[in-house]
This record gives sequence, structure tokens and C-alpha cells, in this order.
Amino acid sequence: MLDLIDITKSFRTGPAETVVLNDLSLHVGEREFCSIMGGSGSGKSTLMNIIGLLDRPTRGQYRIAGEDVLAAPPDKQSSLRNRLIGFVFQSFFLLPRLNAWRNAALPLMYRGMPEAEAKRKACAMLERVGLADRMEHMPAMLSGGQKQRVAIARALVGQPKVLLADEPTGALDPKVAQEIMDLFLEVNRELGVLVLIITHDPHIAAQCPRQLRLGAGRIAQDLRVAA
Amino acid sequence: MIKQAILEAIGNLLASRQRSLLALIGIMVGAGAVIAMLTVGAIAREETARQFRAMGTDILLIRADSDQGLGNLPLAETEALPAQIRGLSLVAPFMLGGGQISAEGQSRSTSFLGVTESFAPVARVRLAAGRFISRHDRFEPFAVVGSALAEQLSTPFNRIRVGSNIRVGRYVFTVIGVLEPSLPSPMMPADVNDSLMVSIPNGRRIMSTPQLAWGVARAAPDADPDQVARAIGTALEPSMREGRVQVQSARALLAGLASQMRLFTLLLGAVGAIALVLGGVGVMNIMLVSVQERRREIGVRLAIGATRWNIQSLFLTEAAVLSLAGGAFGVLLGLAGAWGFAQMSGWAFVVSATAIPLGAGVSIATGLFFGFYPAVMASRLDPIVALRTE
Repeated sequence: MLDLIDITKSFRTGPAETVVLNDLSLHVGEREFCSIMGGSGSGKSTLMNIIGLLDRPTRGQYRIAGEDVLAAPPDKQSSLRNRLIGFVFQSFFLLPRLNAWRNAALPLMYRGMPEAEAKRKACAMLERVGLADRMEHMPAMLSGGQKQRVAIARALVGQPKVLLADEPTGALDPKVAQEIMDLFLEVNRELGVLVLIITHDPHIAAQCPRQLRLGAGRIAQDLRVAA
Repeated sequence: MIKQAILEAIGNLLASRQRSLLALIGIMVGAGAVIAMLTVGAIAREETARQFRAMGTDILLIRADSDQGLGNLPLAETEALPAQIRGLSLVAPFMLGGGQISAEGQSRSTSFLGVTESFAPVARVRLAAGRFISRHDRFEPFAVVGSALAEQLSTPFNRIRVGSNIRVGRYVFTVIGVLEPSLPSPMMPADVNDSLMVSIPNGRRIMSTPQLAWGVARAAPDADPDQVARAIGTALEPSMREGRVQVQSARALLAGLASQMRLFTLLLGAVGAIALVLGGVGVMNIMLVSVQERRREIGVRLAIGATRWNIQSLFLTEAAVLSLAGGAFGVLLGLAGAWGFAQMSGWAFVVSATAIPLGAGVSIATGLFFGFYPAVMASRLDPIVALRTE
């Protein structure tokens, strides 16, 4: 599903060139559930941005489901992001002036879907993540765990192929974090969406069937755990 | 989608009320100035047109000049002009002065007109009561009062009417006629409504500068007023011992007024433009701050599939909503201002048909023009940088 081949990303800061990712290659298959760990500065976030089509590598090739996504012009990349990828962030990033279902429906609105249909789908997805009774709530009235559920509903509402989660449990207490992790495992199992989770938490990483560790700009460790 | 976008824009604008209000006021004042300018222009044009309709475009004003100021018209020669010049139907030389008058303990300062009997038909004044000065009156102490002056001198107990006495310095005049109200003529050096009219010999007694310097005339309906004006000048020249004669036609005055009006419109237009630019800069300022504050939101929207155009239209919609609201209030403000002007000047209030669409259009255009740069800035944000913003 995800094919990264010889991905190099370097930043020019003054005279020196900092290489963040160095000829990194990675293949992630359909329906896989991976965690990505690594110390700060190991390039986790850069890798996530490249996979999420928010950033371009300096060199290398990247295909999603066989499609060369780096060749696409910027507005085509927006539509690729919209169709193929769902994002979940550490601090939720819900739009504060939209209620739960409007937040969840946003990706569909950007596809130009009529509001009634988008609302129906967003509500179905909110129900699926366990927020059937919170459709009209504003983000400020929701708890951290509930906000993250809205964010997950928003990420999944467009039926993406890939769910990218950047420290999704970092802002939550352990009990709620585990609930969110269970939700990720469940949607992976039931919807068949590929899940990539960046995390610092070994306890979260240990529950993933495939565990990647970044070091020196490459995949330093690729561990598969039998389910 | 559009309804949603507009509702969202309104929500965002309400979230930063104070800033929105400031930008709104800027646009409002700008649009208001434009509307007021157009409406006051229309009111003034309408009023001028009305005055000229009442006065007629065949009127001519004669003025004698000398090196010391006003000159003297030869009375006999001037009155003989209609017989000499083809196309000149009537002429009325008159004197103009001013001073204190009193009646029934009421004292006023007013204009004096020393006139002949042809003045009434030439200036198109009608009598409400009594008769006008006639050529037989000469040194008889008779006076005709304008309608406004009669009103001002009247008390609840004693109205000015035919037979009333009016004192001017050492002389006491008896009112023989009161005029009907008439529109003030833009051609005349004094408003007849607010004047005391006496015979020319009496005028020489009561005026400090007893010069017969003025005259009004009417061109015949089929004659060219400008040609008649030139003919009057040529005919009077030989009999003027010193000084010159100037003859002005209504048409020339109309042209002068039109150019004055253009200047006035241009001035108000400049004020409106400056206010609109200030309002526009206000819009730009609040949009830039808004973009800065909502960087993370922009990042999220980009990440979940918004295109650059989506982001651009998000902010452009806000600018458009803001300036449309400002424009709407501005139209009201401008109309209210013009209405106030009409009330104060006593002119008829008319709304120019172009004013409202133009004011609204101009304010939206300003909002979009000044909202464009912040919107483009927002759409060019790098989603990674935008998402990293705390």
C-alpha cells in the first residue's frame, strides 16, 4: 500500500546541510498497524509529513497503492490527502467554532458533498467512535478523549486508505489513552484501514503488530509481533 | 456550501467583534461619504434645475462696472434698448443697496431695490396683495415688500399688509404691495423675497451708494440669449462715459454652476475615496491578524484536503461579508446625511438612482481588493509550519 524508496530529506540551515532522512525505504502493506518510535530529532515527524503529503522529500520515490503521488501538483495533492489519508494530531486540532458533526464532516464538505449527505455520514462515523450523544456539542464542551474521538471520526469519514496519527495519546491520561488505542485497533480490524501511529509511549507501541524504530534517518528496527 | 461559508464567516467575524467593528466603521464611513456625495450632488442639481426652470433660461443680467467698483447705467438709454435690439423683449434697470428698516418696533437689516415698473414682469414676481411700483410713483413714499421680509416684520398682533408703514432711516414708506413667495433666482444679486422695493428716485434717497448699476432683461423666445447679451453690451458702450458693461446670460451662469458642481463632487469624491482606502486598510489589517491567529486552523484545513482556493475563498468571504455589512450601514449613513443636508438647506430630498448600487458595489470592491492580499497569504501557508504554530 505504502511504498517509500530511498527517501532522503535534508534541510539547509546556514552553511551546513542537515540530513534528516537518509535513503529511507519502507513498505507497509494493506490493513497493517504500525507504530513508529524514535528519539527526538530522529525524523519521525518529517517522515510522517512526507507520508501525509504535507512535505516533499529531497530525493526518492513514494507511491500510495501504486500511484506516484510526488508527481502530483499541489492542488492534486490536496485532493489526494482528502481521499487517501486521515490525520489525527496530538492536540486534536478541532475547529473551535464548528460543532462535533460539522468538524467530522469537514473532509466531505471539501469534496463538494451536499451538506445533508455529509451530515449523515459524519453522524454515522461519530456513532461508530462512540459519540452518538455528542453530535451538536462544540469542541469546548468535550473532554480530551471525546475530542480525540471526534478527530478520529473526522479522519475516517472520507474512508481513507491510511490513518496517520501523530502522538494521538500524548495529551491524554493513561486510561483514556488506552481507550483511544483500543479504538484504533478496532477501526483497523473492522474498516481495514492502514494505521501508522507515532508514539513515545512504549506501552502503546507494544500493542502494535508491527513496531518500527527510526535512527540516524533510517528504519533502525522493524519488529513484527504475531497477533 | 456558499451558505455555510457565509455563516462561518459571520461566526468568525463575531468571534473578534472589536476588530471587526473597527473595520466595519471604516468601510461604513467610506461608503457613506460616497453615497452622501452622490445624493447631495443630485439634490443640488435638482434644486438648480428647479430654480432655472422657474427663472427661465432667457434671463440676462446687466452690470455696469467702473474703476472704483460698480458703475452707472444710463437710465433712458437702457429703457430704450428693447426698441433697438431685435430679440430683446424687456429690460429693467435697478439699484441695489441695503440697510436697517423697522416696522412696529421690529428692526431688520435687508436689501433695498430701486426699481421701475418693468421689474415685476422681467423678474417674474407676482403680487399677493396691492400693486407694484409704477412709473408715476417717483417721489411718493411707496414700497413693495418681499414675502419673507413681510413675514419677518409681522408680529402676531400686527401683520405687514398694504397700508402698513415701514421706516427706513428718516423716511417712512407706505406698503402698497406684498409679493408672492418665489424661488430665489441664481441670476439675481439679491433675493427678491427678502427685499424692500421702492422707486428709483426714492432709492437714490435711502441708499448709501446710489448707483444704477444693475439691470435684468428677457430675450425673446426665438432669440439666442448670448447674441442678445452681446448686442446689449455694444449698444450701451457709447453712452457709458466711464466704465464698462457686463451682460451675463443664464446659460453662461449655468455652465459656471456646472463646473462648480463638478469641483464640489470631485472634492466629496476624494473624501469618500480616502475614507474607503482607510476602511480598506482596516479590513486588510483585521484579515492579516485573523490569518495570523488562525494559522493552525488553516494547517488543519489543508491537511484534511482543503485546496489553496478553499482557503483563499474562506478569507475572501469574510472580507466580503464585512465590507457588505459596512456598505449597507454606509448607504444608510450617507442617505441620512444627505437627508439632513436637504432638511437644513430646505431643498427637496431626492435619491440618485445610481447612489445605492454604486455605494454597495464600491464598498464590496474595496473589501475584496484589500482582503485579497491576506487571503493569498493564508492560502500560501506551508501546512507543516501552520500546524506547528502554538
